[in-house]
Amino acid sequence: METITSILSSVLATGPILAMIGSSILGVFIGALPGLNPVMAIALLLPLTYSMDPLVALAMVAGIYNGSMYGGAIPAILLRIPGTPAAIATTFDGYPMAQKGQAARALKIACWSSALGGTASALALITVGPLLARATLAFGPAEYFWIAVFGMASVGVLVGNDAVKGLMAAVFGLLLGTVGLDQLSGAPRYTFDQTWLLSGLDLIVILVGLYALPPVLSLAERADLDGLSASDLKLDNVRVPWSEVKTLIPTWIRSSLIGISVGILPGAGGNVAAFLSYNAAKNASDDPKSFGKGNPRGVAAAECGNNADNAASMIPALALGIPGNVIAALVLGALLIHGLQPGPQLFHQNPQLVGGFMVEMLLTSLIILIVGGAAATRVFAQVQRLPGVLLVPTVLVLMAVGVYVINGRVIDLWIMFVAGACGYFLEKMEVPLAPIVLGLILGPMAEQNIRRALLISRGDFSDLVTRPISATIAIATLALIIWPIGSALFRRRKTSNDAQNEEVR
Amino acid sequence: MTEQRQDILLGVVFAVIGVAAAIKAAAYSGASGGYPMVLGVILAGLGGLVSLKALKRKRLDERPLTQHTPRMLLTLVCAALYLALVPALGFYTTSALLVIALPVVLGFRQPIYLGLVTVVFIGIVWSVFSLLLEKPLPTEIWKRF
Repeated sequence: METITSILSSVLATGPILAMIGSSILGVFIGALPGLNPVMAIALLLPLTYSMDPLVALAMVAGIYNGSMYGGAIPAILLRIPGTPAAIATTFDGYPMAQKGQAARALKIACWSSALGGTASALALITVGPLLARATLAFGPAEYFWIAVFGMASVGVLVGNDAVKGLMAAVFGLLLGTVGLDQLSGAPRYTFDQTWLLSGLDLIVILVGLYALPPVLSLAERADLDGLSASDLKLDNVRVPWSEVKTLIPTWIRSSLIGISVGILPGAGGNVAAFLSYNAAKNASDDPKSFGKGNPRGVAAAECGNNADNAASMIPALALGIPGNVIAALVLGALLIHGLQPGPQLFHQNPQLVGGFMVEMLLTSLIILIVGGAAATRVFAQVQRLPGVLLVPTVLVLMAVGVYVINGRVIDLWIMFVAGACGYFLEKMEVPLAPIVLGLILGPMAEQNIRRALLISRGDFSDLVTRPISATIAIATLALIIWPIGSALFRRRKTSNDAQNEEVR
Repeated sequence: MTEQRQDILLGVVFAVIGVAAAIKAAAYSGASGGYPMVLGVILAGLGGLVSLKALKRKRLDERPLTQHTPRMLLTLVCAALYLALVPALGFYTTSALLVIALPVVLGFRQPIYLGLVTVVFIGIVWSVFSLLLEKPLPTEIWKRF
C-alpha cells in the first residue's frame, strides 16, 4: 500500500503530469503526419531524456506512444492515408464514413476506442507484469541467458517474412553489441585502435539512425510539395448517441482482449492487433457486408485493438527484458540510458519507477479522451496542410541535434548516418530492423549471463540445459526456431503431393 | 536488380562480415574472444543460408531498392554535406542552410513559406536545446572571430 501511494505521488507531481500532457499532444501530431511514426518520434526523443528524471522521460515515451497510435487514425479517416502502420485497418471503415459526411463521428469513435483500448492494456500491464516478474525470482544466470536468446529468436523469427533473415539480423545485432571493452575482462574488441569505439556503439545513436533516417528518405522520395487545403479538413461537431455507444461495447471488450494478447506475444505489433480485431468484429457481426462501407464498429475494433497492444507489449519487456515490439525495445533503451537493466530484477530493485511507468501508460490513455476531443482533432488535422517536403530537413536536424547532445561527438552523427543508410537498404531487402536493435540491447545480457553461468558450473555446458526452467526456455527457443522451418517443409511437401495427385487425375 | 540477386549479395555480405568477425575474435584472449567468434560463425552460416535459399528459390521479380533514386541520393548527399559542415560552420548556421536548401533541391518553390518555416523551426530548436536545456552545440562560424 505504501508503495502504491508513493508511486502515485511521484507520478502525479508537476514534472510527469506536464510531460504526459505535452507528449500526448505531440504524439497525436506525430501520428497525424503520414511519414512520421511513433518509433521514429521516440527514437528522436530518447537522446533528450538523458538529463531528465527517469519518470519524466518515461512519461514522455508513454504519451508519445499512446498519442501517436490515436493520431494515426486522423489521416486514416480523413484521407485514407494511415498515419501509422497500425492505422491501416482504420481506413477500411473510417474513410467510407468520412465520405458519407461522418468524419467527425468516426474520429470521435476512434478517439474513445483508442482511449479504452489503451486503458485496458495498461490495466493488464499493471496486473500481469508484477506477477510475471515475481515468477522469475528463481532465475539464475542460465535462465537469464536463455530468456535473452528466446527474446531475440522470437523477434527474429516472427518479425518480417523470412525467419532466416530475421535471425541473421539478430545475430548481427549481437555482434554489434560486442564492440568496445569487454564488460567482464576489460579487453577491447573490434575497436581497431579507435578510442571512440572503446565505449561501444551507443544504442541511441544506432536507434535514431535505423528508425528515423529510412522514413525521412521515403518522405524525400515522395516529395510531397503541397499540403492539403483547409476545405479537405473541414469537420463538423457531432454527438454520438448513447444507443450507438452501447452497440460498440462488445466490440471494445473483444478488441481489447485481442490487442492485449497480441501485445504480450513478442514479434507482433499494433497492426496485427488491429487486423485481428477488425476481422473478429466482422465475423461477430449480424451484417458483415456492411464492413468496409462505413460501419462504426470497424473503426472501433481497429482503433481499440491497436491501442490495446501498446501497454501489453511492455509486459514481457519489463518483466523479462524481452520487448514485444520495437517501441518496447525503445522503452528498454530509455531504461538503459538511465542505468536501469530491464528484466526480472527491475521490478524488485526499482518498483517505484516500473510502477510509475505503468501508471503513466494508464493516464496517457485517458488523456487521449481530452486531447482527442472534436475541437482538438480539428487542430491536429491541420498538420496535414504542411508540405511533406518540409519535414525532411527538419527531421534530419532533429536527428542530428538529438544524437550530438548525447556525447558531444561529431563521430556519432556519422555512425547514425551509416546506420540509417544501411537500415534503409536492409528494409528494402526485407531484413527486419527490430532484431538488430534487440541484439544490441540483449547481447550484453546474454553474454554476461552465459559467462557467469559457465563460471558457476566451472565450464560445464550441460548446466545451461539441465536446470528445469532453463531447459524449458531452451526447448521453447529451439521449437521457435524449428517451427517455421518445419512448417515450410510441410507446406512444400503438401504442395508437391497435391501436384502429384493432380497429375494422376 | 532481381530479388534473387539481391538476396545472394545480401547473404554474401553478411557471411563475409561473419567470417571477418570470427577471424578477428580468434585473436582475442580467453573468454573475451569465444563469444564473438561463435557469433561470427553463426552469422556467416546464416548469411550463407540466405544466399543458398535465394539460389534455390529463383525469385526473378524486380525488387526496387528506391522509390525515386535521384531524390533519395540527393537527400543522402545533402545529409552527408550537412554533417560535414556542422563542425565547420556551426550547428544553427548549417541547420538553417539545410532547412532552406533541401526542400528547394526536392522541388519546393515557395520562398516566403520556406523562410518562415526555417525561422520558426530554428527558433524552436534554439529555444529548446540552447536556452532551456543549455546543451553545448558546435559553435557558429561567426562567433569564432
